[in-house]
Amino acid sequence: MDIRAYIESGIIESYVLGMADAQEAAELEQLAAQHPEIREAIASFEASLEASAIAQATPPPPDVKAKLFSELKNEFSATVPSFTESTAKVVPLTATGSRSNFFKYLAAASVILLVVSSGMNFYFYNRLNDATDKLLALQTEHNSILADNKTYQTRLLDIYSNMQLMSDPQMIKVSMPGIKGKENNLATVFWDSKTKDVYLLANKLAQAPENKQYQLWAIVNGKPVDAGLLNDCNGLCKLKNIPAAQAFAITLEKKGGSPTPTLDQMFVLGKVSG
Amino acid sequence: MEAVKKYSETELVLLLKQRQEAAFSYLYDNYAGALHSIILNIVTDAELASDVLQEVFVKIWRQIESYDDTKGRLFTWMLNIARNASIDTVRSRSFQNSQQNRELTESVYELAGSTKIATDQIGLRKLVHQLKEEYRTLVELSYFQGYTQDEISKMLDIPLGTVKTRLRTALIQLKQIIKPA
Repeated sequence: MDIRAYIESGIIESYVLGMADAQEAAELEQLAAQHPEIREAIASFEASLEASAIAQATPPPPDVKAKLFSELKNEFSATVPSFTESTAKVVPLTATGSRSNFFKYLAAASVILLVVSSGMNFYFYNRLNDATDKLLALQTEHNSILADNKTYQTRLLDIYSNMQLMSDPQMIKVSMPGIKGKENNLATVFWDSKTKDVYLLANKLAQAPENKQYQLWAIVNGKPVDAGLLNDCNGLCKLKNIPAAQAFAITLEKKGGSPTPTLDQMFVLGKVSG
Repeated sequence: MEAVKKYSETELVLLLKQRQEAAFSYLYDNYAGALHSIILNIVTDAELASDVLQEVFVKIWRQIESYDDTKGRLFTWMLNIARNASIDTVRSRSFQNSQQNRELTESVYELAGSTKIATDQIGLRKLVHQLKEEYRTLVELSYFQGYTQDEISKMLDIPLGTVKTRLRTALIQLKQIIKPA
């Protein structure tokens, strides 16, 4: 058979265009299997037919593609494409399927854990705030108690040392009751017979008015001698050193004291007992 | 078509058999225009041609498993699906009826010089127009209207042998027209 003549008879084109009848097609397929030139001729016409058809393309209305894809939307694969023919179909598909499920559950679990954790964070944060507030209150209370304690200790020490002084056998106690018209006043002088230091205990004396001060006088041979000013002090107040005196008295003087007592402002008076 | 070629034909067929939407979208973008032309050549009604085009792509999608690459190119296979679907549409009774109803309006359009697509001035049919009259009629009847050679022989009252010879000659000439310079 003359293959060249066969190829150029037009049968190739007729076959490719789908115009050959069944008998002609079967004959050509059989010959093509034996003759590579026939296969080449078929391939060549197919290629130029395709190129020509694409060159003669008429773009379809744009909505056709949307309608087509909408019609087929349930027929597309949801899995990743694979280029290896033998393994393509089953293995990666089920693997990806179950794995994506696993990650779905993992993601769900993560979200739940996050929500629970956030809730716990909030709860514990509030608890921590409460505890911190309580601790601060306790610390403040503790500090104020400590301070009070210190004050009491100091006072106790003062009282103790005062007691020591007052109960000392060498201490001369001079009780000074209120004079006529000032009977509800009372003060006591403790006079060290050895050192001659004078201590005053204001048992009952009204609060000195603003810009006034109580002043102690020692009466020495009938004359008043300044024995010191009464300042704010707890318990016994140490005043001046008085070598000799027969009596003590307290007057209310201007602030800072006076050189001589204002006699009509005398409050208490007491004689040193023999 | 504008779309960038990103698949070889083997890859494309493989991906289509794996039901990949992206591959089908690529196929559509690259070949819908070419198939649309051949459908318009046969169906001639633009609206109907769009429906046939959609139907052809559904067939391509659903029958891709039956495509055998040892028997020819993917485009040859698709072109034959498009041609057969178009001829079936033209021959269906409902189309015949609608064509009759349409005749009047069509002539009105033609008188008005409307923009109706001249479906014999596009695609393969435009190339066939370059053939000599005696060949052109045979190709029209055979390829675009789907008549068998036997039917054509009876229709034109030409011996079957002559129909066959002339048709082969026509196709050889067509091949020369198609062939890139």
